[in-house]
Amino acid sequence: MPKKKAKDRQGVGEKTEGTVSRRNVLKIGAAAGAVTVLAPNMLTSRKALGFQQSVPKPLVQCTASPGSPAHTPFKDELKIPFPAIDHPLNPQPTEAPNLNADEADRANHQRWAQFTPAQVTTELEARPSTHRFHSDFGESYIWGFNGVYPGPMILNRYGQSTIVRFRNSLPPTGDNTFGVPEITIHLHNGHHGSESDGFAADFFPSGKWKDNLYPNVYAGIEAFPNPNPGGNGVGDAREKMGTFWYHDHRQEKTLNNNVMGLNGMFIVYDRTDPGHEHPSAGSLQLPGLYGVTDIPLILTEKRFCALDAQGRNEMVNAAGGDKWVVNGGIQPRFTVRNRKYRFRILSTGPTTAQWDLNLIGPTGSIETMTCIATDANFLEHPVPVDAGANAANTNAIEAGVVGGVPQMVIETPGAIRVNVAERYDVIIDFGKYNPGDMLYLIDGGAGRTQIVNPGNVNPPGLPPGLNIGKVLMRFDVVNRETWFPQDTPPIPETLCQYPPLCEPTTTFTWNFTRDPAGSNPRFFRINNRVFDPDVPQHCVIKGTCEEWFINNNTPNADGPTNWAHPVHIHFEEFQIIERWAILGGVFQQVPVPALLDGRKDVTKVEPGEASRIRMQFRDYLGDYLIHCHNMGHEDAFMMVHWVIVPDAAAKAECDAKIAQANKEFEAKLRGEEV
Amino acid sequence: MDRRSLLTRAVFTPHPSSQGAAKFTNAVLRTQDNKEVRFYDDLIRGKQAVINMMYADCHGACPLVTTILKRTYRDLKDRMGKDLFFYSITVKPQDDTPASLKHYAQTRGADLPGWYFLTGDAYDIETIRYRLFNMGHIGVDLDFAMHSGTFRIVNDATNYWGHAQAFASQKNILKRIAWADPFKTPAEWDAVIRARQVRIDKVVKKHGYLRREEL
Repeated sequence: MPKKKAKDRQGVGEKTEGTVSRRNVLKIGAAAGAVTVLAPNMLTSRKALGFQQSVPKPLVQCTASPGSPAHTPFKDELKIPFPAIDHPLNPQPTEAPNLNADEADRANHQRWAQFTPAQVTTELEARPSTHRFHSDFGESYIWGFNGVYPGPMILNRYGQSTIVRFRNSLPPTGDNTFGVPEITIHLHNGHHGSESDGFAADFFPSGKWKDNLYPNVYAGIEAFPNPNPGGNGVGDAREKMGTFWYHDHRQEKTLNNNVMGLNGMFIVYDRTDPGHEHPSAGSLQLPGLYGVTDIPLILTEKRFCALDAQGRNEMVNAAGGDKWVVNGGIQPRFTVRNRKYRFRILSTGPTTAQWDLNLIGPTGSIETMTCIATDANFLEHPVPVDAGANAANTNAIEAGVVGGVPQMVIETPGAIRVNVAERYDVIIDFGKYNPGDMLYLIDGGAGRTQIVNPGNVNPPGLPPGLNIGKVLMRFDVVNRETWFPQDTPPIPETLCQYPPLCEPTTTFTWNFTRDPAGSNPRFFRINNRVFDPDVPQHCVIKGTCEEWFINNNTPNADGPTNWAHPVHIHFEEFQIIERWAILGGVFQQVPVPALLDGRKDVTKVEPGEASRIRMQFRDYLGDYLIHCHNMGHEDAFMMVHWVIVPDAAAKAECDAKIAQANKEFEAKLRGEEV
Repeated sequence: MDRRSLLTRAVFTPHPSSQGAAKFTNAVLRTQDNKEVRFYDDLIRGKQAVINMMYADCHGACPLVTTILKRTYRDLKDRMGKDLFFYSITVKPQDDTPASLKHYAQTRGADLPGWYFLTGDAYDIETIRYRLFNMGHIGVDLDFAMHSGTFRIVNDATNYWGHAQAFASQKNILKRIAWADPFKTPAEWDAVIRARQVRIDKVVKKHGYLRREEL
């Protein structure tokens, strides 16, 4: 075993050689997908930090770049995240945290007896690794779950409870990046106990792990205790969700750790959406073979430093970027057969990145994409989006003026606007095209362009009017080979039926603001508060329904806030019942576009906009977050938590705590000591 | 290299990833005792610090924030001046001489070991303010009139950057400062986690679920 000289120079190593080499051998087995059972004494070993020994840290921190190096468009095939492997956990998961085996502190799992033993268990280890974003580039140092970016795809099924063991094997004393080696993993937007929800203040250090119990049940466990057909477990099957994602939620450092690579997708199937295309009871028979005809598209933006002495193109440690990355690859191509495909589009931001996705045909025309799900939820009916007959369906719409008349104006015709953390599942029918045709997924919005090469010179063959800097990826249509699954039936007219809107017992307003001039820095706040994990801002009684007004039209000293906020609420899905915007200077109700008329867990409120939503709080107790999912904003405190309490008495106590905290806040403002 | 030596409290060793003076600047500042100090080398390098912006003639937030810092100083007295420091930097260096800052500190009982009130060249201080408190929006951050209801919390030994809101609860301020504490050994982490678990179990036992405000 050679000496780790580079590491020693940095002075942050602590592993002994012998342990590491033994550990690495085991870890390599695990990475290859083998079920590796580790002896308990190895799991408790403080030296058990796996791969980081074999991944040289960056020589210097890449903090800025005048512009990423050029790359050749469409050179690389689209990468499909490899599914996580279901394997036994050792030691076995326990209801109370297993501190003796290095689990981190947490409350006992709720509904443990009901949902264990878990049918599926797997481990995701956050650790340093390298990833090549483009074959023209050197590798980049990342932090990835099981060492890959995006993280392994978790494929689950309703009725099969799952425990994911998140292990923190990040460099305990940091490295030459802006990542912070403390993590807390949120499954966005799972219905599970608060202790498994990745609460922002519950981060744990390197060397520790935590089991998150995901029961994979429909919300409404108590009202619908009988098992649903198809082995899909309990709960209200109308609450079915599909496309989730998991990511680090470390308070103040969510942006850093997500830029480093700590996120991935998580799909939950049920009988309506079974993960295969054969006719089966209840199945909608949508394109559904993961990695074959059901394809994740995980979008983010990145910037890179020039090739360094280690042969690396490191990622710039900051928000923003000049390369658009799909599933960890820059401007990939994807070979599609002339049939229907399902794409699960997710934006991981991290900040203001907003893609107005247009599908561009071989001649440069805007083609139809049929949206079937928003966030994790099927729309009741498919919503086709294009610039022709279905032009009104787009969600790329904002308050404006046309011909002197204030009105909601389509900003990008035929586009699906994807904000940070939103998911849109779309079906594209490539059967309409000829083999040899090429289609392009582009950002049709104004403003943002990526740098492809100096001057952004279009490659030959690009349709007229298209700018290579706006293209995310290319689809190359080929004839379906005989061995490739044949096309699925037409998309059903009805995909699901929502439960009736709940009747709220309480209404509550969340005001999203930015501090006025004169404060420094100007924090983002919610209801005048910044994140304080010790004090909730609202208490709800379990089993009730509330109507919340998500308001980004709160005037302060500067007038109404001029920042857009993609607001995310943990725990259950909500439905937008009203949208509000300022038209002609008047704050008023505006129509909800078809694409936003389904159940969601993120609602973007532009400056002067608001959403009125209804949401239920069933089955579990504890703390959950509401926050702006612009990761820069949430790290700058635009996050508060609300708590589900068991009954009215507990709510009264909880409300009293909030009142007391508010009193202390006011007293502090008066200069009194608290 | 033995990691323990890296963490030895008396030796102020910067984290290998620290951007050092390139980020913080090494501007020459003056303390309330008219002592010349270099911002990075003497004040930040390898140290944990809580920094706020203020000015002596301020009748708005500054005295309140100073009061809150004083309370925080009391809570962390054992560490102050050893491995933890408070820096209150004037945003009006043209008005605030070391003497006037001394007066400000003395009248508020804040002229304490490990707590420095700093003045210097206006351009330098503006640069420091921008580097420390820049939240990524130039148009906003160039507003000279801004001063602070916020503490910047840095630890150059761990390369940690955090912040706290002065008007958050005292518990919250202390927690955020603790997040920037020196790297813990596994044994130290164990102790922290076991202590937290005891508190969690106690609250859950009492109420049947976790009430964070009682932790």
